[in-house]
Amino acid sequence: MAAQRATNNAAQGKICQFKLVLLGESAVGKSSLVLRFVKGQFHEYQESTIGAAFLTQTVCLQDTTVKFEIWDTAGQERYHSLAPMYYRGAQAAIVVYDITNQDTFARAKTWVRELQRQASPNIVIALAGNKADLANKRMVDHEEAAAYSEENGLLFMETSAKTAMHVNEIFLAIAEKLPKNEGGTNRPRPEVDITQSNPPGGSKGCCSSH
Amino acid sequence: MAGTSKTSNGRTTGATIGTLSKIDAYGFKRGEDFDYKSYENFESEYLAVLARRMKRWNEKVLDNGQAKSVKHRRMVKRFCRKGIPERHRPMVWMDVSGARKKMQKEPEKYQKLLSSDPDTLEDRLVQDAINTDLDRTFPDNIHFQVATAENQKKQLNNILIAYGRHRPEIGYCQGMNYITALLLIVVKDEEKCFWLLSVLIDTILPQYYSKMMTALRAELNVLTEIVGTKYPNIQRVMDSEGIPWMLVASKWFICLYIDILPIETVLRIWDCLFYEGSKVLFRVALFLIKDKETVIKECNGMPDIIESFKNLKTDDRALECHQFIHDCFIETNPLPKAEIKKLRTKHVALVEEEDRKLAAKREAR
Ligand SMILES: Nc1nc2c(ncn2[C@@H]2O[C@H](COP(=O)(O)OP(=O)(O)OP(=O)(O)O)[C@@H](O)[C@H]2O)c(=O)[nH]1
Ligand SMILES: [Mg+2]
Repeated sequence: MAAQRATNNAAQGKICQFKLVLLGESAVGKSSLVLRFVKGQFHEYQESTIGAAFLTQTVCLQDTTVKFEIWDTAGQERYHSLAPMYYRGAQAAIVVYDITNQDTFARAKTWVRELQRQASPNIVIALAGNKADLANKRMVDHEEAAAYSEENGLLFMETSAKTAMHVNEIFLAIAEKLPKNEGGTNRPRPEVDITQSNPPGGSKGCCSSH
Repeated sequence: MAGTSKTSNGRTTGATIGTLSKIDAYGFKRGEDFDYKSYENFESEYLAVLARRMKRWNEKVLDNGQAKSVKHRRMVKRFCRKGIPERHRPMVWMDVSGARKKMQKEPEKYQKLLSSDPDTLEDRLVQDAINTDLDRTFPDNIHFQVATAENQKKQLNNILIAYGRHRPEIGYCQGMNYITALLLIVVKDEEKCFWLLSVLIDTILPQYYSKMMTALRAELNVLTEIVGTKYPNIQRVMDSEGIPWMLVASKWFICLYIDILPIETVLRIWDCLFYEGSKVLFRVALFLIKDKETVIKECNGMPDIIESFKNLKTDDRALECHQFIHDCFIETNPLPKAEIKKLRTKHVALVEEEDRKLAAKREAR
């Protein structure tokens, strides 16, 4: 593993690590998206997240390896007061709503607004309309969300943690859009030599973008 | 619940070693990384401890060994720290926490709360939030599995709804579902669980679950200050890495160590919690932090530190609950109650002040 990492490192040059936070109403599927992205799994009954969960995953782009440090937060309204701790210094955010629930879309918009005002100025924000597999229960138009994202300069995809649709894609799109030169502005250590860092337990290592 | 739990109970039949079930005595599925070998080693010793404790409880604390009530003597504190025998846990928790008194004082309250139908938007929102979480509470526990646990889920639902009506200003906060579910697993009596939950939230714990979670945020700042005093070297690293304890420890306090530590260890912590109050939550936090001192000092950035606190459920030291609690008290002494009270007051005020400033800033825009 270490050797492979070293080779990758040499072949691909740059390694960047980015802090990414997931925000959105409870039960929209934040944890499920992360679980799909990091472990390739889906649980019909996913435990509600308390506080926040931390996971890492690495993806490879053309010439860069991007390591995501992911904060999956709790969605209930009152946990909002803890959220700034988690998005502070984040270079990327995925704001998630559930396409079968209009209220969660409204909530997503307030998260976007809050991020635009309070988070790092260059934060890359993606909007994920999750549970796209439940198209017959759809309550939020694709066009409406796309137009809103366009206006606000957000990446936008409809996703399904259940079928895996667009899950890797949305993380990859974020990785593409993140500035690789500085590797993020607020990090004390934007670039690390991955050969020296322990591969975290959950991660399948480099280039595990299925 | 008693009706459905036909699984082998590791505790009562546990004399046979080498036949550890994939499901523990409380109905939780053992994880893939569960170390059967070291658990067996631990359990063979712990069973002897439990037998001895049972004998001592019967002799010294219980009325003629009749598990009806605890004779309140000074030794009960020590006895709770050494672990309440599983069979007596429901009764002892009810007694030492004051829940039984509350229940006796208002014997009809629980049923009244349940049958009242406030028909307010607030009550409906609480019901919806609880409903969303019913299938997401211990989905891997046989007592709460979706297919088979209708009855337990109904009880869980009832208790949470009743609590929301009992304290509408709190309503329902995620995390309460796990606490209530574990109470149900141990106590197996809906109404008693309601009273234990109320006594926990209303008197034992600070107001963690309130709408702004002010006391919870303050609690983590209190923890920071205590770590700074007791283990300045650790706090220095955390400060220089820019990691607030909130990122590591918020769930510790919200869930009272459920899903953080092995289940037996959690119950041993709760034995102390119900008798002597919430200070034990700090003791455990400090002990866990101190135990990671080397890792923290040698760490390579934030992810390392966060990860190092993630696998405590299968950590050998945490698994050996008897030793764990013993060492925990020794390591964290002294920890004066008055000091904690002072720090809590101070940090609640600071958090409230911050919130006020933030709100004013928002309004100004
Ligand atoms: N059909 C369908 N169900 C999904 C999808 N994603 C998640 N779910 C289900 O929705 C429920 C909630 O998912 P979670 O991932 O726990 O939601 P969350 O946003 O993390 O919720 P909190 O932790 O409470 O904030 C779970 O029961 C999932 O199985 C999806 O893409 N399709
Ligand atoms: Mg979640």
